[in-house]
Amino acid sequence: MQDPATSKLADSILDGDSEQAAAAARELLARGTPVRDIVTLGVEGAMSALDGKCTLERFNLLEIMLAGRAVMQVMHVLFPPGAPMPGNRGTVVVGTLEGDVHDLGKSVLKMVLTGKGYRVVDCGRSCPLDVLAARVREERPIAVGISGLVTSVIPNVQKVRPLLRCQGMGDVKVVAGGAALKQSSAEKLDVDFLAQSAFDCVHYLESLVLPGTVLRTELPAADELPATEANP
Amino acid sequence: MTSLERVCAAVRFQKPDRTPVIPQIFGHTAKLSGVPLIDYVRNGEALAECQLRALRRYGQDAVFAVMDANVEAEAAGALISYRADAYPVIEACLEHDRAFGRAFPLPNPDVSGRMPQVLKALRIMRGQVRDEVLVVGLVLGPFTLASQLVGIEKALFTAADEPEVLVAMLDTAVDIAISYGRAQLAAGAHLVLVFDPAASPAVVPPTFFREMEVPRLRKIFDSLASVGSAANWLHIAGPVRSILQYYPAAGAQIANFDYEVPAVDARGGLPSTCLDGNVRSLAFVDSIPAEIETAARTLCAEFKDRGGFILSSGCEIPPESSPDNVAALVAAARSSERT
Repeated sequence: MQDPATSKLADSILDGDSEQAAAAARELLARGTPVRDIVTLGVEGAMSALDGKCTLERFNLLEIMLAGRAVMQVMHVLFPPGAPMPGNRGTVVVGTLEGDVHDLGKSVLKMVLTGKGYRVVDCGRSCPLDVLAARVREERPIAVGISGLVTSVIPNVQKVRPLLRCQGMGDVKVVAGGAALKQSSAEKLDVDFLAQSAFDCVHYLESLVLPGTVLRTELPAADELPATEANP
Repeated sequence: MTSLERVCAAVRFQKPDRTPVIPQIFGHTAKLSGVPLIDYVRNGEALAECQLRALRRYGQDAVFAVMDANVEAEAAGALISYRADAYPVIEACLEHDRAFGRAFPLPNPDVSGRMPQVLKALRIMRGQVRDEVLVVGLVLGPFTLASQLVGIEKALFTAADEPEVLVAMLDTAVDIAISYGRAQLAAGAHLVLVFDPAASPAVVPPTFFREMEVPRLRKIFDSLASVGSAANWLHIAGPVRSILQYYPAAGAQIANFDYEVPAVDARGGLPSTCLDGNVRSLAFVDSIPAEIETAARTLCAEFKDRGGFILSSGCEIPPESSPDNVAALVAAARSSERT
């Protein structure tokens, strides 16, 4: 049976109540609950519940944004500023490509991926292709997530996979999504997967058996964390 | 029938001589004319020339005085960045506390930002087409304009954290829409489309739409109708099935539906409202004319027994679209009288 405090954390995230979620995370830490349990049972549990609620017919950004903000607040409590956030499921590089300055879809993807246990490297908006490729080379992610709100960015999206392939990074999966891109197809965009939503992207990543993925058990326990206000 | 008569007949559920067709072409008309987008979005004369050239090429039933979605935000003080061959973007939104309490001056359509250029375009186009072709203006809906003014993330968080602040922002947005919309009608628009994509259920819950948007949309439409708008046209893209039931209360007489909503659902949700849609926008880029024509003919057939239909794209046809695809859409409507 799930600890009531863990349930409280998950419920607070689902309610979009950042302050209550952060307080619940502090309470769990103070009791000595391992961080891995807080993340997997509390945060990831809440994101899975949100995933179940957010069908294509019943999905709204406001709910996701509020839950995402609460997740980021909890992560801030669990992992101190400046310390690398462990990605127990692997790293994903996200960005919008040159010519597209809209970053809302990318921000949502970032929050959802973080809540599901991925380490996210954000290349920002209107990112040049060579900068994206350089980050992929540095970070060695399992995937690149590209969000697009304008159709004019499609020619750049189509260049990503060939570019990674010719630089010897063809094993990195390329996922596209966003209002403009989701009208197309994976084949036409030359990507590995076309996601209809941020959660759809997560489902795809979870369907992969990825070499190099860091195991969940490698998340630090509370006593392994650097000192923070909540984890003195 | 003239184009204007044809569209008005569809709005009243009377039988037009053929299905009206209004491809949502804005920047595409600039591409078609070889005019850089930066000129199209800043110069009313250039916009009018591009729209009229597209009218001569395609023979559609409406022209649009539409530059981009940032005209009102810029006029209210947001910083806009112009790009040579792409739509401009908002570089810096208004400060939150400036938007609240109307600390910024309401735009004056005669002098603020690019609003005078839009009015100029309307005067030119109306002077040319008179009452033969529908001349359409555009204002942003309340939540969309609020999102443009302060940024959509901030607008969403404000909705949750400080609802009273959001209410003030929405009311300011209504005042801007009414002032700018009435100026467009005075300059020659037959009607002013209310564009409110941020009110889509993809962004906010249906309850938000019902409680926050519907009364404000009604206020805008009532005001525009009182000064002679030919019809109330509401445009919300995305999966709008769950909010269609509220459109009549908002005063919508023409409702856009996007490719994500099947025609049968749009018909069912709005049995007494003229609908326009819903060929997938990107299809005008990545498909061939025969595919556009097939999609368009299917739509015309689906509405043949009902009427109250304007053939269109589900949202804006991208600037880079193939002209042959736009022509195929219009051709399908033109042949619909014989189907």
